Amino acid sequence: MSFRKPSVLPGFGLTLGFTTFFLSAIVLLPLAALILAAASMPWNELIRVVSSPRALGSYRLSFGASALAATINVVFGFVIAWTLTRYEFPGRKLIDALIDMPFALPTAVSGIALTTVFAQHGWIGRYLDPLGIKVAYTWLGVTVALTLISMPFAVRSIQPALLEVQRDLEDAAETLGASRLYAFRRIILPTVLPAVLTGFTLSFARAVGEYGSVIFIAGNLPMKTEITPLLIVIHLEQFDYKGAAALGMVMLLISFAVLLTINLLQAWGRRRHVRAAH
Amino acid sequence: MSIDLDQVTKHYGGVPVVNDVSLQIGDGECFVLLGPSGSGKSTLLRAIAGLTTVDHGRIALHGRDVTHVAARKRGVGLVFQNYALFRHMTVADNIEFALRVRRVPGRERRARRQELLRLVALEGMDDRLPAQLSGGQQQRVAVARALAHKPEVLLLDEPFGALDAKIREELRRTIREVQRELGITTVLVTHDQAEAFAMADRIGIMNLGRLLEVGVPHELYSRPATRFVATFLGDANLLLARRTADGIQVGAATLASELPSGREHEVVVVVRPEDAEVASTRDELGSGFVAQGVVDEMVFSGALERVRVCLENGAALLASDAAATPSLQVTRTLHEQRAFAVHPGQSVAVGVRRLHVLPTPLSSFTACASTAGVAAALAREPLLTELAARMKTRIVSRVEPQLGAIEAGANPEAPFVGTTVIGAGTDTAHRSEWLLRAGASEVLVLPAQAPQPQRVLIHWLGEAVRSATLAVSASVLRHVPAEAVYVGILAEETRAGRPHGLRRLLDARSEAQAVHGLEMRTELRFGDVAQELARRLAESPAQMLIMGVTDLDRFAERFRSLLDGGRWPVLIVHREAARVPLSLPREALA
Repeated sequence: MSFRKPSVLPGFGLTLGFTTFFLSAIVLLPLAALILAAASMPWNELIRVVSSPRALGSYRLSFGASALAATINVVFGFVIAWTLTRYEFPGRKLIDALIDMPFALPTAVSGIALTTVFAQHGWIGRYLDPLGIKVAYTWLGVTVALTLISMPFAVRSIQPALLEVQRDLEDAAETLGASRLYAFRRIILPTVLPAVLTGFTLSFARAVGEYGSVIFIAGNLPMKTEITPLLIVIHLEQFDYKGAAALGMVMLLISFAVLLTINLLQAWGRRRHVRAAH
Repeated sequence: MSIDLDQVTKHYGGVPVVNDVSLQIGDGECFVLLGPSGSGKSTLLRAIAGLTTVDHGRIALHGRDVTHVAARKRGVGLVFQNYALFRHMTVADNIEFALRVRRVPGRERRARRQELLRLVALEGMDDRLPAQLSGGQQQRVAVARALAHKPEVLLLDEPFGALDAKIREELRRTIREVQRELGITTVLVTHDQAEAFAMADRIGIMNLGRLLEVGVPHELYSRPATRFVATFLGDANLLLARRTADGIQVGAATLASELPSGREHEVVVVVRPEDAEVASTRDELGSGFVAQGVVDEMVFSGALERVRVCLENGAALLASDAAATPSLQVTRTLHEQRAFAVHPGQSVAVGVRRLHVLPTPLSSFTACASTAGVAAALAREPLLTELAARMKTRIVSRVEPQLGAIEAGANPEAPFVGTTVIGAGTDTAHRSEWLLRAGASEVLVLPAQAPQPQRVLIHWLGEAVRSATLAVSASVLRHVPAEAVYVGILAEETRAGRPHGLRRLLDARSEAQAVHGLEMRTELRFGDVAQELARRLAESPAQMLIMGVTDLDRFAERFRSLLDGGRWPVLIVHREAARVPLSLPREALA
């Protein structure tokens, strides 16, 4: 006699098998191939490629701009999500739909559009230029492009968490004497913090891997506005597959380290809650 | 007074959700706001807490005007239906929240927390998270949290709504004990009358944004003033009866009246199911025989048996014709059941031991026209059917071929009872005068497809009809979510007339409030009465007029501009002037 619980979906064995196969074929195998390709290089050659000044400059730009973009996104994403969940106003649905636009646009189109707007004589660029602010073809432009394409991830992560925070909680805090700031700090923020971190992670991951939109607005000056994915493409164009793989592997390692750190942070936060419970 | 509300009003999208509510709640009192959902009771509670602003009126807590004071500075504790506990904090942190905000030192906080946990019987639960507690325990934590900062007022918004019956009862007792022990002024909002009876020192009943009646539970149950309270607070049979010189005549019985006898007219009486009685013959009844009936349905519910009896002359007797079969509810004790067992289909005599006359001046509606078709159509007018449904009363049709023929004289075959309704048309003024002369005390002129009024204008000519007009207005406004405006009109603007006119407005307002529980605003105008009223009615759509008259001399001529063409619903209240001596010069307020 079997005590297996009936379920709508096929059984555990089948689903686990499928999961393993799918992950291996789509994610793990290509990654392994990448690492193998890089590892087939002589060590000194590998070190030379990944630690060249040009490569180091590109890491700094790629990860720095991505982290900055993700930070901007969780801050403004929070505000946008707040507006969309808390208020009822004409055009709310439209704005809600607009959030997803960067998902739908080919990234190259976003890049071209941004360049048009932020170039020296563009709609916004012409007003920034006299102030001495140049966006297009600088690291600022890279950040703007990364912010644009990773914004939906932040908003869509925070939105459901905010929906969970009932108005009653704020009302309760208010009747208990808390100021708005205090209620925000002690009640709302702790409740949505996991979602904010998730939003940051997704945003960051998306920004690091971005290529299409950046190359148009970055100007791609070596050492200054050259992102790592572009450097990889340059290597590829010179048929230096191994060099490209080596850079790819470095990106992979750094990204993995960052994501792992954030995940550990979240797990630590959860544990702290559970510990408080005992 | 702990809580003092003065004419508190709150609109949402033009509709008054809380409509002119005035209320005083004493120190240490447990006051229950009872009403159906959407009656405005929660909004009123939030207004007291400071979480909702008010459009009009004043709120004072312990003598301090807090109308424009933020919630966090009002010193109230609020408990929500869904607990609203901070889920990421332990029970201890939740309870200490208000103390942390106030930077109370740790030692003091812990002492207070222990004291509160003992109060709500949750000792030792300090380190649990809300998710690890049952619903009843969570609500106890919420109560403790709301009391931590020693608020002067405790507000509870449907606190038992999410709990099952057993736990509900237990928590109810806990809260009542805590309330008594601390002597804290408490306002509890609920839609459950059993809960209200169990908790309340006094109950206030709300419907459609208005606070209808306030009183101790027993008084409200045995002597309600309005149909709504009579039927909302327990079960009630509403019957139409006649007040005569001998007492109250209901069906075949005449019972002594608790009210001084006045003019003979139709009244609405409340008969509680436990005050009705059935027996095999009328001689075996211990009380006054009302009518013969047939047992329709029986429901056994523990100690009591509920019997529905179809009355033989039920159609004429029962106030409401909403039910398919007009029937009377009777509840019988075990003792009565043993003495006389009944079964469905059995013919019984029905008696009434005790009844209560509602002081409402509007009993039933009679749609009156010169042909049957027109009368039937009038009885189906949306505003009339809506009003009758809300008043739980009925509409009958009546054909009066001579209607409006002034020359033929007003000599109808039967007297007019209740409110007589006529359609608005070209000679409405004439028809109204004819009906009033024929003895109708209240005439409602109803235009076709009139919308629900959002504002009711009130005016009367002659002091003799003042009280009746206010009573009718109060009755209408209990059933319509509209604002009431008393329009005072002086013949012409004079320097001397103005202060006099203003004083009259204030007098009218305070009488409406004190005697009829009607909150109204006031306006002063100058000119001809009919013209000014017509002008005021034309100013915005969806208005209705309630007008009291004493003098029928040249009525049609005087009010033709107001009534003919029929653009607005007008309810005319008529009382003879002769009986009441005039204390004030009649022309002072036209």
